[in-house]
Amino acid sequence: MKSLEYAIETRRLNISYGDNRVIKDVDMKIPKKTVFALMGPSGCGKSTMLRAFNRILELNKDAKVSGEIRLFGENIYAPGVDPTEVRKETGMVFQYPNPFPHLTVFENVAIGLKLNKLVKSRDELEDRIHWALEKAALLDEVRDRLKNYPSELSGGQKQRLVIARALAMKPKILLMDEPTANIDPIGTRKIEELLFELKKDYTIVLVTHSPPQAARVSDHVGFLYLGDLIEVGKTGKIFESPGSELTEKYLTGELI
Amino acid sequence: MSKFDIRKIKEKLFLVTVAALAILAVFPLFHIVFTVFYEGISTIMATGPTFITGTLGEGGIGPAIVGTLMLTLLSSIIGIPIALAVGIYAYEYPNSRIGKITTTLLQIMLEFPTILVGLFVMQLIVIPMGSYSVIAGALALAIIMMPYVAVYTAESMSQIPFTFREAAFGLGVNRAKSVFMIIAPIAKRGILTGLLISTAKVAGETAPLLFTAGGLYQSYPHSFTQPVGSISLLIYTLVQSPSIADHQMAWGAALVLMVIFLAVFIPIRMSLKEVKL
Repeated sequence: MKSLEYAIETRRLNISYGDNRVIKDVDMKIPKKTVFALMGPSGCGKSTMLRAFNRILELNKDAKVSGEIRLFGENIYAPGVDPTEVRKETGMVFQYPNPFPHLTVFENVAIGLKLNKLVKSRDELEDRIHWALEKAALLDEVRDRLKNYPSELSGGQKQRLVIARALAMKPKILLMDEPTANIDPIGTRKIEELLFELKKDYTIVLVTHSPPQAARVSDHVGFLYLGDLIEVGKTGKIFESPGSELTEKYLTGELI
Repeated sequence: MSKFDIRKIKEKLFLVTVAALAILAVFPLFHIVFTVFYEGISTIMATGPTFITGTLGEGGIGPAIVGTLMLTLLSSIIGIPIALAVGIYAYEYPNSRIGKITTTLLQIMLEFPTILVGLFVMQLIVIPMGSYSVIAGALALAIIMMPYVAVYTAESMSQIPFTFREAAFGLGVNRAKSVFMIIAPIAKRGILTGLLISTAKVAGETAPLLFTAGGLYQSYPHSFTQPVGSISLLIYTLVQSPSIADHQMAWGAALVLMVIFLAVFIPIRMSLKEVKL
């Protein structure tokens, strides 16, 4: 019964904070190895939904999730599922580039592997870190600065370091919460170019409040408005002929 | 034009007032440091190295210095691990019932009269044991130290942005490792500052030692269950004496206490690297 063509599938997903329902009955399928953009105005529930996909929403005690979220067919909210295992399979990148400030560039990429005891030798660790930095298109810029602290890097480099930190864990899915919101245009372009490379190997869910960004980088797009999934489909189709008046208003900037 | 001038004058006046008040506030500190140094140095010069190494009979404060070091060290060994655990608990579970009670109790304990702590430990240990002791003194100091360490720990950890916590959990790191291996190290500077301030504070405490440590100045302490002296306790005793020579000795002891305090505090404080967020 596993629907393996999809990386993520939600069924009647509801999320609420106390009495406040922020995600309402969302059924959505995210195909493998594509960039799926989740767009919508601020406060529509995009970030909340993204945090349900790796269960870090549980850090917020008030948040309640009901319904199903299936990652590669497995319901991650089924009883007995260990959230830390889910999190190892899903890398996350945040709105504010947040490499750990007390760790060097090298240690930042290594920390997940070390704390989860996922590598056996120093050689394996070094190989994996070089691989992850290369994959995040950062290696050439930091090759001589692996022992330096991330405070020396630019915003865009910090964000690619966070991507490398996530990739080092060899996840299957990358969750990105407005990764370019605090990055300058050049850094933004580099990260967007990187997405085209990364989607060959990973399923990427990109939360964005910018329809142009969704149009540039995504294969599929979902439009979320006040907790309702208004429309979902291929990016080209939705941008050319939106099926809903709300979507059209949002894309033309009338809905903020 | 005139309006413009009045505005400038007001601004200047404000600046001068604030600067004057700041100097007034800092002045006593410099005055204390200067007086202690000026009065103390002549005593120490007159006695020579014996002042540091000799017993009271030889004109020295050696046993008091050793006593202060023993008391400070033992109270840190007792107090710091517990206090760190309490601080991390208060940070990690701020909204649980026990967490809330802990936070309130810590705030009360911070300002609790230290002499009452001394009385409490006297009842608890000194009377049953029948003697003042290093253990009793160190326990009293540990009780005074713990709320500082705990509050500093909890405060500095709660100032770390939530996003680092999310990042740690997002890597599949469990709660304990996130707190101990990621959040606490980011807050390192604040936590160590708390440790330092509380260690420096107990090194100079007098009141809680009155009924717990007792005092020992004619010979060096050699057991944890025997009475012990401290520099601050010795100063207190010497100043009560009518003899001018004892007063001079108290100034010398005060200088030693101040040098120990500054020698520990300043280098560590300066060498703590700030973690840039």
